[in-house]
Amino acid sequence: MRRLLLTLQHAVAAPSRNPRLAVVIGRLLGLAFLVCFATGLYSHFLQEPLPWMRFPTQPVQLYQVTQGIHITAGIACFPLILAKLYTVFPNLFETPPITGIGSLLERASIAVFVGASLVEITIGLLNTYQFYPWPFGFREVHFALSFVIIGSLAVHIGVKLPIIATYWRKRSGYGPELAFDAEERAEINAPLVDVLPAAVQRVPGARQASGLTGRLFRWIDETPRERLPEQTAKQTAEQTAEQTAEQPAEQTAEQPSAATSPSRRAFLLTTAAGVAAVVVLSAGQSFAALRPFNLFAPRAKGIGPQAVPVNRTAAAAQVTDTAVSPDWALTLTNGPTSMTFSRAQLLALPQTTVDLPISCVEGWSQMATWTGVRLADLVKQVASSGSPALRITSLEKEGGYRVTQMGSEYVGDPTTLVALNLNGETLDIDHGYPARMIAPGRPGVLQTKWLSSLEVM
Amino acid sequence: MRIDSLRLARSILIAVGVLGIALGAVVLVMKQDLPAIVSVALWMLGAIILHDAVISPIVFVIGVLARRAGRRISTGVLAIVQGAIVVGCLLMLLIVPEIYAKTLGTANDTVLPFDYAARLGFLWLGMIVLTAIVVVLYLRLSRPRAAQSA
Repeated sequence: MRRLLLTLQHAVAAPSRNPRLAVVIGRLLGLAFLVCFATGLYSHFLQEPLPWMRFPTQPVQLYQVTQGIHITAGIACFPLILAKLYTVFPNLFETPPITGIGSLLERASIAVFVGASLVEITIGLLNTYQFYPWPFGFREVHFALSFVIIGSLAVHIGVKLPIIATYWRKRSGYGPELAFDAEERAEINAPLVDVLPAAVQRVPGARQASGLTGRLFRWIDETPRERLPEQTAKQTAEQTAEQTAEQPAEQTAEQPSAATSPSRRAFLLTTAAGVAAVVVLSAGQSFAALRPFNLFAPRAKGIGPQAVPVNRTAAAAQVTDTAVSPDWALTLTNGPTSMTFSRAQLLALPQTTVDLPISCVEGWSQMATWTGVRLADLVKQVASSGSPALRITSLEKEGGYRVTQMGSEYVGDPTTLVALNLNGETLDIDHGYPARMIAPGRPGVLQTKWLSSLEVM
Repeated sequence: MRIDSLRLARSILIAVGVLGIALGAVVLVMKQDLPAIVSVALWMLGAIILHDAVISPIVFVIGVLARRAGRRISTGVLAIVQGAIVVGCLLMLLIVPEIYAKTLGTANDTVLPFDYAARLGFLWLGMIVLTAIVVVLYLRLSRPRAAQSA
C-alpha cells in the first residue's frame, strides 16, 4: 500500500507543484486576464459609449490591435489556466474541505473564480465562430462575468498575498541578501503545495492541508525513499549504455537542488510551448505577420468576397431586394433640412481612397482599400458648422446594429467614408452595396452596411 | 511596518474584489432573466466538474503511466514526449469544437473556412515528427554531457 501511495505521490509530483510555480504561472494568467479585461472594456464602451466618452480615431489600426490582443490573450488563457490549475491540483482533495467560515468563503471564491474563468474563455472562444450552445445572452454574460473574474482575482491575490510576496522573485545570483538559503530552496522544491514545509507554514496565509489528505501526504512524505519494484527489476536486468547515461538525470530530479529541477523546467517549457502553439497557430486571423501560420483560427485573412471576410450577409440581413432597388437613395437629415443621394450622385461627388481595416469584435480583421465620399464633406451639405454626431440607419430589417450612433470624432475624421468601392471594385452586396460606412478604429459591427439614412443628432 | 502594509494591501484587494464580484452579479441580474442566470450558474458548475472530475483524473492517470514508463525511459525524453502530448491535447481541445460547429453549419463561408479535422490530423503528424526530432537532438546533445559526468 505504501509503495502504491509512493508511486502515486511521485506521479502527482511529476512537474513540481509548488508555491513558486503557482506564482510564476499565476502572474502570467493574471496579466492575461487584466489585458483581456482592459481591451474588453474598451470594445464594450466603443459599442455602448457613455455620453461624455470620446475615442481616439488614430492610429487607424487601434481597434484591430486591441481586439486582436483581446482574442489572442483569451486563447492564451487556455494553456495558462490549465497549467495554473495543475500547479494547485492537490488542493482539490483537501479533506475536510471546509474548516471554518474563512475557509468556506475562500473555497467559494475560488470556485466562483475558476468556474467563471473557464466559462468566460470558453464562451468567448465559441463566440469567435458564432457557435452559441447555451441559453443565455453571450454579450451580457461575457461582460458581467468579466467583473466577477477580476473581482475574484483581486480577492485571490489578497488572500494569497503573503505567498505571492515570498515567491515573487527567483532571488538567485543577485547577491547574498536576495538568494535563497538551502532551507528555502528545499521549500521551493517541495513537491506539493499542500505539504507545506515548516518554514512556509509560518508565512501568514499559508496553510497545511488538513484532515485526511494532509495526513496522507505527510505519511507518504515521511516514507523513506525506497526502490520501486520496476526499478529494482530494471537494475537486475542487463544495463545498457543508455540506462547508465540516464542515471545522473534521474538523481537530479529526485534531489532538491539549487538549480531549477528538470521536472519544473519541463513543466514551464510545456506551458510555454502550449501558449506559443495556440497563439502562433491562431493569431493569424488578427495579425498579418502570423497569417502564414494560421492553422485553426475560425477566420482567415483574404477569404471572402473581394478578399474580405463577412459577418452578416445580405441574405441574413434580408436586404437582397432593397439593396439593389433602383429607388435606393441615402437620406441625409438635420432637423427640417433633408437631402437624398442616389449611388450615381454619390459617385459624382469628389472621391477619396483610404486604407482602413475591418476589425471585428470576434478578433479577426482585414486591411482593405476603400473608395467613397468623405463623410465630413457630405455632412457639411446639411450641417454648416463643426462635425456633429450622427444616427446611422441600415436597410437591414432587424438586428441590434440596424440603428447606431457615430460620435463627432469619427464624423470629423478625414478618413471616415461613405464607401462605394472596395479593393478597386464596386462594393459587393455582402459588404454593404450600395453604400456602407467605414471609419478608423471602430468595431466592425458599427461599420454600418447597406446605408439607408444619416441623421444629425 | 511591512506586516502593516501587507495587511492593508490585502484588505484593499479583498474589498475591491468583493465589490467587483458584486458589480458583476448586479450586471448579470440587470441584463438577464432568472432562467438565463440559472444556466450561467450551471455552466460554471459544469466547467468545474468537467475540469475536476474529467480532465484532472485523465491527466493524473497519464502522469502515473508516464511515470511508470519513466522507469525505463530517460526523464528528459519522457518530459519531451509528455510535453508534446499535452500541447497536442490542448490544440485538440480548441479545434474539436470548431469541427463540431462546422457540421452544424455556419453563418457564411468565411466563418470556419478550413477543413479543421484534416488540419488536426496534420497537426498530430507534425507534432510526432517534431517530437521525434527534438528527442533525437536531446539525446545527441545530452549524451556527451552524461558521459563526462559519469
